[in-house]
Amino acid sequence: MGRGGPGGRPGRGGPKQPSNGGLPRAIRYIGKHRRTAFFAYSALIIATLAQLAIPTLLQNIITAVINGVKAQSFLAMAPGKFRDALIAVQKTSLAQLTTDANNAQSILLSAGAIIVIFAATRGIFSFVQTFQAETMSQGIAFDLRNALFAKLQRLSFSYYDQNQTGQLMIRATDDVEKVRLFLGQGMLIVLQAIVLIVGALLLAFNSNVALTLVILPILPIAFVLFLGFGAMAFPLFAKVQIKLGRLNTVLQENLAGIKVVKAFAREPQEQQKFDIAATDLMQQSIAITKRFTVLFPLTQLIAQVGAAAILYFGGREILSGDLLLAQYQTFSLYLIFIFLPVAQLGFVINIAAQAAVSANRVFQILDTKNEVADKPNAVALPAVQGHVEFKDVAFRYFGNSDPVLAGVTFEAKPGQTVALLGATGSGKTTIINLLPRFYDVSEGSVLIDGHDVRDVTIDSLRQQIGIVLQETNLFSGSIRDNIAFGRPDATMEEVISAATAAAAHEFITGFPEGYDTPVGERGTTLSGGQKQRIAIARALLLDPRILILDDSTSSVDLTTESKIQAALDRLMKGRTSFVIAQRITTVLKADQILVLDKGKVVASGVHKDLMEDSPIYAEIYNSQLVGDTHEASDAPIAATPNAQQA
Amino acid sequence: MGMMMDQSRLFGGAVSKPKNIFATLAQLATYFRPYWLLMLMVAVLLLGSTWAQVTQPDLTQAAVDCYLSPTKACTYAAIPENTKDMVAMSFDDKVAGLAGIVLRVLALYIGAAIAGGIAFYLFSWTGAHVIRQLREQIIRRIHTLSLGYYAENEAGNIMSRVTSDIDTINQAMSFALISVVGGAILVVWIVIKMLQASLVYALISFIALPLMIGATLWLSTLARRAFRKSRAEMGNVNAELQESLSGVREVQAFNREQENIDTFRKTNASNRDVNIRAVSYTSALAPTLDALTYLALAIVVCVGGLVVLGNKTFVDLLGGSISIGLVFAFLQYVQRFSQPIQQIATLWANIQSAIAGAERIFGLIDTQPDLVDKPNAIDMPTIKGKVEMVDVKCEYQKGVPVLRGINLSAKPGQTIAIVGPTGAGKTTIINLLPRFYDVSSGSVKIDDIDVRDVKAATLRKQIGLVLQDSFLFSDTVMNNIRYGRPEATDDEVIAAAKLASADTFIERLPEKYQTILGERGSGLSQGQRQLLSIARAALADPRILILDEATSSVDTRTERLIQKAFEKLLAGRTSFVIAHRLSTIRNADMVLMLKAGEIVERGTHDELIAKKGAYYDLYMSQFQRLEADESAPAEGTVTTAPQGA
Repeated sequence: MGRGGPGGRPGRGGPKQPSNGGLPRAIRYIGKHRRTAFFAYSALIIATLAQLAIPTLLQNIITAVINGVKAQSFLAMAPGKFRDALIAVQKTSLAQLTTDANNAQSILLSAGAIIVIFAATRGIFSFVQTFQAETMSQGIAFDLRNALFAKLQRLSFSYYDQNQTGQLMIRATDDVEKVRLFLGQGMLIVLQAIVLIVGALLLAFNSNVALTLVILPILPIAFVLFLGFGAMAFPLFAKVQIKLGRLNTVLQENLAGIKVVKAFAREPQEQQKFDIAATDLMQQSIAITKRFTVLFPLTQLIAQVGAAAILYFGGREILSGDLLLAQYQTFSLYLIFIFLPVAQLGFVINIAAQAAVSANRVFQILDTKNEVADKPNAVALPAVQGHVEFKDVAFRYFGNSDPVLAGVTFEAKPGQTVALLGATGSGKTTIINLLPRFYDVSEGSVLIDGHDVRDVTIDSLRQQIGIVLQETNLFSGSIRDNIAFGRPDATMEEVISAATAAAAHEFITGFPEGYDTPVGERGTTLSGGQKQRIAIARALLLDPRILILDDSTSSVDLTTESKIQAALDRLMKGRTSFVIAQRITTVLKADQILVLDKGKVVASGVHKDLMEDSPIYAEIYNSQLVGDTHEASDAPIAATPNAQQA
Repeated sequence: MGMMMDQSRLFGGAVSKPKNIFATLAQLATYFRPYWLLMLMVAVLLLGSTWAQVTQPDLTQAAVDCYLSPTKACTYAAIPENTKDMVAMSFDDKVAGLAGIVLRVLALYIGAAIAGGIAFYLFSWTGAHVIRQLREQIIRRIHTLSLGYYAENEAGNIMSRVTSDIDTINQAMSFALISVVGGAILVVWIVIKMLQASLVYALISFIALPLMIGATLWLSTLARRAFRKSRAEMGNVNAELQESLSGVREVQAFNREQENIDTFRKTNASNRDVNIRAVSYTSALAPTLDALTYLALAIVVCVGGLVVLGNKTFVDLLGGSISIGLVFAFLQYVQRFSQPIQQIATLWANIQSAIAGAERIFGLIDTQPDLVDKPNAIDMPTIKGKVEMVDVKCEYQKGVPVLRGINLSAKPGQTIAIVGPTGAGKTTIINLLPRFYDVSSGSVKIDDIDVRDVKAATLRKQIGLVLQDSFLFSDTVMNNIRYGRPEATDDEVIAAAKLASADTFIERLPEKYQTILGERGSGLSQGQRQLLSIARAALADPRILILDEATSSVDTRTERLIQKAFEKLLAGRTSFVIAHRLSTIRNADMVLMLKAGEIVERGTHDELIAKKGAYYDLYMSQFQRLEADESAPAEGTVTTAPQGA
């Protein structure tokens, strides 16, 4: 079923440019994983607080050591007035110093143990934080992929006419992954940075207000800078995705069409085309590199300028006696916790910009309005008799002014066979695509047993229509699964009888695994003729009242072709059938022949009448028939117009 | 369809553990050789930037030792040696001195930032060029490999090398590698400084290091195994996506949306679960290293503190006392070198998979094409059209012959029809003419020249090909027709389109000849695609024409157009047709009936019918079908031929 619709319409690839605002929407998906998110972010807060506590603990140890050394040196002095005076100056007592000296080692060791406990706590909680965040992001990716898949499965044919499968797949895989990366890792880094900065700022304020005020203005400058970079990088990343897509298209075509490339000896030109795309992509990524060449060192520099500023202003205060050296050292430790996360935020910009591009691409699909959907008050189509009516049907693609079908009106009674004839692009495929409502009419209406197809539920409509087209897609699974595609609950007997009627039983049982033979991408490769017979069996098993088929046989040998034709004939018996007719016999047997030309029914009726009334029909008929007459002259059996008119 | 398959392989087939790291790295290094000067600059800049990073703490220390809390430890050059002089310095002098140091610190920072930035840019720039070169080499290799290679290797697999494998290298090149190299330099530098300061104390500080390395290796091995499973699951997700998307029309026709959505949900869920499992290992890595860093810090401060406090055991262990300043310095050192180690550990997985990616890419680039022009190959002279196959045997796989001794000869201008059941070797015969494959034995001669003795491009340019699957490119209609003869004028293109009866529908396209076709010509009907591919072949004006079942699947009117186009195309050219249409067969100068790789019958249609052999049977089966059709009740509009004949 390769064709999107009748010819004459260019398949312009590539979805439309995505809109903005995808990232905030993606972030809202966290709401659906509240529990996991809660664990992740609670753990994050605990782990981060533990991280903030550790420098203070280290500082305490140092202080304990300094006091111990001081006490030791006092105690080591010769006892006397000088020592007592010194002790008095230090506002301490001999007893206190003795305690300090004796306890220093145990204080040291217990503080060391506390650090290890804190480290372990931090380790455990930061594991929980990362693990839960990843679990959450995997959950969101799962949600997004399911939503995309469900959406894509139900979008109408016209969507697939406009979009390339490969591009859609990239969105469900690569783009979802980029969004996931940000929601998992990126958000963690952002939140951790916020907690650290706020916590460290509070501690810093507590420690020294004046110095904190020195570094405070640096933060908003950094944030503005980052947002600016993010805004700048965003369109660049979007371009990279597009250029990468172009490069892959060239590559993909060269692989799929390698035979054509070689046959026309076009390797140099294809290489040139590829080189241009590769260079283009390279230049785009270098353009991004340029931005980040400035951003990455700048983020570091911001932190370092802050540290230098503290050294200068803090130093001044120490020199003027307003600040103690130890206080300065504690303060500078907090500084690390302010500026390190700032640098990390700079890195997150990278992930966020890519995620924003990807989120827009994902939501663009999710927001696509399905052109063909059930009406709110749609009813199930009752079991159909097979009465089909087209009333003044017109059809255009995407609001094109040129109609593909115009003023098509006809009626098929239950059980009749309607043959559609016409040149390529005359609208035959469009007519049959309107029946199961793969597209909606632009004007007029399509009625089945008096029900407008737009008024009934799509499921109930399609259940009653069987379709066999030239190109058959098989799905991964066994042959049995494929025959039972439309009726997974069918019994084995039913499957076998459908396969037998479709002249497929013989070759299926020829496989060592019979009906359990795996087919599809990872299974046995079937020939075109075998696939087609499975498609016929698949439609037969549905036992539809209305049948749509293309009676041409694609690239099979003559014996197979005859088997397929016989199976098709069995399939059509007793059903209202619409046939894109390629065979004389079909046309001769048809209850009604519609001759199409440029989207209009130019003649209709049975063969006999049309031969007399319609020159176009006669032309089509004869063009085929010439061959058959010839055949008849040297073969025992053939249909000829002469014989028939006789 | 092909594209989809590629996507599914993208994640499915990758193996992440490199087999021969050093050989691969050495090969990768050769790509950087032209940029050696730039790489040298990168190395110098990185060293400079690292130097700035390790020097800065010394300056801060100098500020403390010389101005903030003057001690003998002050070694800052600008300060007089005598400590008393420093203490006696005026406030303004001290502030000026401090400002001097701060300015130096700032200069160092800025210098380091600029050096680091330039190194990052130069390395990324070089990396981008190397990546482009790899990509270009791949497309050239793709072009030189014979069709036999594509029979054995899925296009998807090749595609994934150019996309996902290149991507892993790309990521490693720009950010990971420079961080790792910079980090490694820093670690080595710090370690040396620590060892110089106090050998034993340094060694004690490194106690946690083996644990860190051990944890990294263990966890990354576990993670790699889990990720391998996750790639397989991702492959399933892709396969299902691909199948459901490319078959979406059938899915909708058979109302299978809900079932598919449910199945996909399951596959998607197991992908999620495997990923969560894998992530549990990677999530553990950073916290473990983090905790070990703090353990190291605790050890450094406790041991140092005990020594400072004069604990005899530890003083003996270190072989002497140490200052509180050294303890403080060691604390900083350990913190500083843990950071790059953590970074290296988390990037380790990236780098490993980049090496594995490089290995796969080199595997493709190094594949020796099995079909190359001989060194002394000549240009194929203008072909007159005599084609000869002498005892041609051909096998794609050793021991599985596809052709078993084909002899045939076609005079210039003749049409040869090839018939036979699927798998008889029809396609193989026609693939030998443009030398898509080489014979296993025997020879294929055109105008008495062995096809292996001429340059393949000059041969193929004179052979036109119309395949059953009319492959078109997503380019304009004009460029698609012009494909076989890039220098053709627009008028020539239009003339070819007219000859192929394609101009009528082209004129109805929105942009006419400038209409851009979709992926593989989507948007056109099969018949239209075929007409375009005929126009393409017609424009190339080949001396020998190969048609592969090209007339089989279009409506009758289009078919008549195609038949007419063919007649024009065939006139005066030697043609080989894999035929299914009786009219084609009947018009052929010779019909070859192929069975199991051998020509079982040959002659004209009439001769073969008279022979009542295999061809007759095949022919009859067609008429048995007609008979079945005719005998079906059809309101007497049909009659059988005997009386008509």
